Formats: sequence, C-alpha cells, structure tokens
Amino acid sequence: MAAPGKFEQALQAFARVVGAEHVTHAAEARYEYADAMAPRDPASYAPRGAVAPASVEEVQAIVRLAGEHGVPLWPISRGKNFGYGGSAPRIPDIVMLDLIRMNRILEVNVEHGYALLEPGVGFDDLFEYLTANKIPLWMSAPAHTWGSVVGNALERGVGYTPYGEHASKICGLEVVTGTGELLRTGMGALAGSKTWQGFPYGFGPAWDTAFMQSNFGIVTKMGLWLMPEPENTVSLSMALEKAEELPAAIDALRPLKLDGTVQANPSFGNVIRTLATRATRSEYYQGTGPIPEDVLEKARIKAGVGHWNFAVRLFGDRKINAINAEKVKAAFRGKVSAEFQQSEWNRGEPLRNSGSPMPSLGALGVVDWLGGKGGHLTFSPVSPFSGAEAWKQYTLIRGMFEDAGFDYYGGFTAGQRYLNHITMILFDRSQPDMLERANKLFPRLISTAAKNGWGEYRTHVLWYDEVAGSYDYNHGAMRRWNEAVKDAVDPKGVIAPGKMGIWPKAYRKDRA
Amino acid sequence: MKLATLWLAWLAAIPGAAHASGPNSGKDAFEARCSGCHAESGWATRVLKRRLPGDQAVLARRTGLTAAFVKVVVRHGTGSMPQIRKAELDDATLDAIAKYLEGPK
Repeated sequence: MAAPGKFEQALQAFARVVGAEHVTHAAEARYEYADAMAPRDPASYAPRGAVAPASVEEVQAIVRLAGEHGVPLWPISRGKNFGYGGSAPRIPDIVMLDLIRMNRILEVNVEHGYALLEPGVGFDDLFEYLTANKIPLWMSAPAHTWGSVVGNALERGVGYTPYGEHASKICGLEVVTGTGELLRTGMGALAGSKTWQGFPYGFGPAWDTAFMQSNFGIVTKMGLWLMPEPENTVSLSMALEKAEELPAAIDALRPLKLDGTVQANPSFGNVIRTLATRATRSEYYQGTGPIPEDVLEKARIKAGVGHWNFAVRLFGDRKINAINAEKVKAAFRGKVSAEFQQSEWNRGEPLRNSGSPMPSLGALGVVDWLGGKGGHLTFSPVSPFSGAEAWKQYTLIRGMFEDAGFDYYGGFTAGQRYLNHITMILFDRSQPDMLERANKLFPRLISTAAKNGWGEYRTHVLWYDEVAGSYDYNHGAMRRWNEAVKDAVDPKGVIAPGKMGIWPKAYRKDRA
Repeated sequence: MKLATLWLAWLAAIPGAAHASGPNSGKDAFEARCSGCHAESGWATRVLKRRLPGDQAVLARRTGLTAAFVKVVVRHGTGSMPQIRKAELDDATLDAIAKYLEGPK
C-alpha cells in the first residue's frame, strides 16, 4: 500500500484537532464541495478534502498544520455563493476550511444596534434569533437567505434596506492570519476595548476592508451594525413598460440617493428577471437563441409586468416617510410614463411586505429558466449612477448575451453613488453547447467592460485572474501591492491561493 | 426514475434542527431543514410540478421514494438543487429525513 500523500497526511493531522467526523476525504469532498452551478465539469476544480473546525483555536491549529504540510486551505463560511462558485475553490489541490460549524451569535446589543457573529451564522439563523427574542433590530439580506451573514458582507453582498451595502456596516473583525496568529481589527486591537463594534477605525491604518474579498486572513468573528426597526415603511413600486425609460428613471432616482431621501437600494430588474421567478422560458418561447423582441413583449403584457420593475422603499418615521414619498413621486413625475403603486407598513403589523428581509430561497428558482440542470454565472459590472451610462452598459451587455444565444437577465441596484449591474447567464448544465457558449462569453464581457471603464465588483472563482487583470492601472500596481502584502503576511501561501487573483509566491505559476 | 427528475431537500439551516431523534424526528427535521424549498408553496415544489404529476411534487406526500435514493440526491444534488454536505447536515439527521420520506404517506 502506497504511503498517503501530503493531502491525506494533512487531513489525518486535522482529524486529530477536530475529530475524524469533521474531516471529509477526497472521494466525498469532490462532490460535497463542488460548484453546484458550474459552467464546466465541477470535478475539474473540486478540492482534495475538507475540515470543519468549531472554534478559533481549532482554526489556528489547522492553519499551522497546513503550513507544516505544505497544504493550502480554502475558507468558506456556508458555501452558498451561488453564481460566483458556490463552495468551490479556485484550485483543486487544496483543502476546504469549512467554517459552517462556527455558527454562534455571540452578541446582539439592542441598545447600540450591533451583532457579533461567527462565519457559520446564516441569514435565517439571525432572523430567527432576532424575531424569537423580540429584538427590535432588522438585518439586511440578499435575495436568498441560505448563505452566511459574515461571508456575504465580506464578499460585499447587497441587500435592500438602508443597511443594504453590507460591507459598509462591518465594524470590527477577528482574524486568523496565514501563520496562525490571532488579531482583532479596529478598536478590538485594544485588549478590553469597549468600542470594538462602535468605532470602525481604531488607531493607525484600518485593515477591515483588506480582509474583504481577500486572502490575507480568515475571519472568525465579525461585528455588524443592525438597523433599528423603523416605525413605518412605504413602498413605491413602478413598472416601466418601455425599456428606453430606464435612463430617465435612473436620473430621477440619483438626486434622491445623493441627498439621502432614499436610503435603501432600489433595484431595476428587467422583464426576464421578473418572468423567470414565475415560469420557465418554454412557457413563452420554444425556439432557440434569445427570445425575440415581439414574443417577449407579448409575454410581458400577458404577465402584467414592466420591462423594468422596481420599488423605492422608505424606512423611518411615518410623517417623514409621507413627506419623502411625495418627494419621490414628484421626482419621477413627467420623467417616465408609469405611476407609482403605493403601500405602507406600520410597526406591529406582520413583517411580510414590510421591507424587512424574511427567510426565503425563492430567488434561487430562476435557475430553472431553461429547465434541465439549471446553472448560472453572475457578471456584475459597476456602472456610474447615470442614465446614459447605464443605458450604454445595458445595451452593450444585452447585445453580447444575445449574440451568444442567451436571454439577457439583469438589473441595476442603486448604491448611493453607483449602480451594481448584476446580470446572470442562465444555462442548462446538461447541454455542452450552452456551457461552451457561456465560457466563451464570460471573458469577453470582462474585457469589453474594462475597455469601457467598467470593472466588476465580484466574480466567479474561475475568472478571478481575468477580472483582477482588468484592474490594470500603472501596469497592475494594485495587484503587485496585493501580492507584496500576501507574501509578507502569509509567506507559505496557506490561505486561499488565487482568491481575487492574488497569488502567493509559491503558487504564482497557477495564475491563468 | 432518473436522478435529474427528483428534487429534494434544500436545507435552510434552522438552529436547533441539526440532530434528530424520537418518533417524529424525521418529519420534524424535514420540516425544519427542507421546507424552505420543499414546503407545498416552496419554489422547489413549483419547479417539481413542472416535471411530475399531482402530489408527487410535494415530497412529504410523494410515494415511491427510497431512503437510499434520498441520501444520494441530498449529498450529490440533482437538477438545479445543490448538494448538501456532511458538515451542514450530519448523517444521522439525513438518515432520519430519508426514512421519513421513504415511509408511508
């Protein structure tokens, strides 16, 4: 019998730390941690094993052992980053560091409005905790709530309350470094600090953002500000019947976001984004290629939806919301042909339709648009908050989707001074031709966006290098800086080699 | 029946539902861990209704499921359903869910 290789030896060492039942060997890890929405054979980038620690001390021990064995680790919180790689790593010769067992809500401070969380806490868990304990704080959540609160915020995920720019609500991290050291950022660097979740900067350089979308450390605790439950919310929803009305609507919204009238993040979703939640494409069209414009228009009218559908939601005191609702309506009046549909929620009423996120996995249903084995790739360029520029981005990207034979599925989610243009290439994983087209389209989207001055805010594990390469100012100065930091803080390259295109020296040959 | 025709537990990890025991443990675990998608009004049920007749789309009422089949589908995923790994759903709880779905309806 051959001696076990270094991965198996490392897994045996990890088992002595966490218990054998919390280690997954290669035969099972290849499918348990595969990309469930993969645009190519998921086994081609599935890992060699997995270990699931339950404590910070176990994480530190595993990192040190990984360094000794020369085995890199790929940390995941809950592994539900669908469309961006799910639970899959960038390279297959790696062991997953699965943090899902670290799922404690360590503190919720009602008076000061924050939570301290471990990475395995899901949005559903946090919602249950807040509601079961009648805590008058609201979380913000993305479209589906299966994932990790910590992981989503660290990946700069987006939600739809005034706290929807999740990364901006992080306050204080605990981090295990690539050498197994433990540090706390911000005020947490002061032992016994009373303001770790209050003041986000600390003394000297602030490193919280350096641990977001990065491989400089493993976040084991995260402070997150939570929004006090408002007295009232007002929803103003609108369906724009003509695609060409998008620029006017965006330009009408911009000053309301700039001056803070609208604090949440309205999302302009296109007609297919709406239709895909209700039925499969075959109910509207049975041909190949993108749905023809006239067929799509008939489907839109039959469904009673707009070409763009969005809602502006106001959160706060009832009297102030009433004033701001009139201000929003006035801003759009005469600019677009549609009118707002208004509804209201008041504290004490059931939360459904309040604007508070509820546990829901319904958004995942869109992957059945083409039937068969659904999958998707998410392409997410950032647009200036400008109707003209968003229109240019939309028409260019939609054209590229359609030239490649795909329906354009997308929407613009409004930040305070930018738009996140989140699009999905939806495909049937059982059709090789479709996968080939998706794989060819995706890098073209990245390069075309870059030529127009648009960068992605997030991407799939398979295209980290292409997106990182598009951030090319001064011949890639940012990448050189990131890799200089990486080599300094993680000299053996233990943590997530290749994450966001940041390669430690020992693995730089693997760059695409 | 092909694997690809069956959808199963999308497990919306609810605290306290991780370990199952007792006569209703499989049912309780199914409702706690799988109903996020597989409740009667869940999106997975809607998707299954596009593929299967009548009550067969509602897993709690579906006949003909075997425990072994359920376990394979949960661990490997099928159709548009992602796999559920051991660290998220331990073997004992999966066994209880699988036996419940195999049982009489």
